[in-house]
Amino acid sequence: MTTKIFVNLPVKDLDKSVTFFKSLGYTFNLQFTDETATCMVISEDIYAMLLTYPKFKEFTPNPICDATKSTEVLVCLSCENRAQVDDLVRKAVAAGGKTYKDPQDHGFMYGHGYQDLDGHIWELMYMDPSFVQQQ
Amino acid sequence: MTTKIFLNLPVADLNKSVTFFTSLGYTFNKQFTDETSTCMIISEHIYAMLLTHDKFKNFAPNAICDTTKSNEVLITLSCENRAQVDELVAKAVAAGGRTVEDAEDLGFMYSHGYMDLDGHAWGLFYMDPSFVQPQ
Repeated sequence: MTTKIFVNLPVKDLDKSVTFFKSLGYTFNLQFTDETATCMVISEDIYAMLLTYPKFKEFTPNPICDATKSTEVLVCLSCENRAQVDDLVRKAVAAGGKTYKDPQDHGFMYGHGYQDLDGHIWELMYMDPSFVQQQ
Repeated sequence: MTTKIFLNLPVADLNKSVTFFTSLGYTFNKQFTDETSTCMIISEHIYAMLLTHDKFKNFAPNAICDTTKSNEVLITLSCENRAQVDELVAKAVAAGGRTVEDAEDLGFMYSHGYMDLDGHAWGLFYMDPSFVQPQ
């Protein structure tokens, strides 16, 4: 059984966040969706659980970090090609997200990113597969 | 090409964090390791990039969240069975991590978790595969 990851992120307004991520092309698993949480499908093994603040607080002993002011995590996702990186960033900005830096072109790797409606940082990168060495 | 995820997390002491996660059984990709960061392998598609605070600041526009006071994310990983959940938590605690709540048994799902040396929250769960509906 392959490991699956669920990145649990607090969102202030669940409906707005769902609209935001839908506009980027993501879909949601309705079995794990209710008025307090939803399960965003990134791939067969990768999911983001978007949780309302009250729901998120059930799982963490600490208060919720205001992601517009400080950051605990950068969620970086690989893309098929450079165009997909640009396309997702453009859609995110159009939907109310914002960029926080220019695209980074390192030749073998191309990356950009956006902050979602809650300030969570999503990085997107395409890496030339030939660059990655077999371990 | 399947999407890969890289969760970028700031750590106060990279060597101590590598020792911690090594004791849980994780391995690291040497190609993406230097004195400022390392790439922890969770699965073929799931990675955690552990970054020194200085390195993390190169990528994040905001300050680093003080995880002793607040959290932005809960990282949850699926396990093969209940025993693996318990085993990873036991190893984490033995290596200097801590639990913040008791294990939870919902019948179809069993879960527990730990805070790592930097206060990042890792959830672990086993879910009965027959519970998950095809979408």
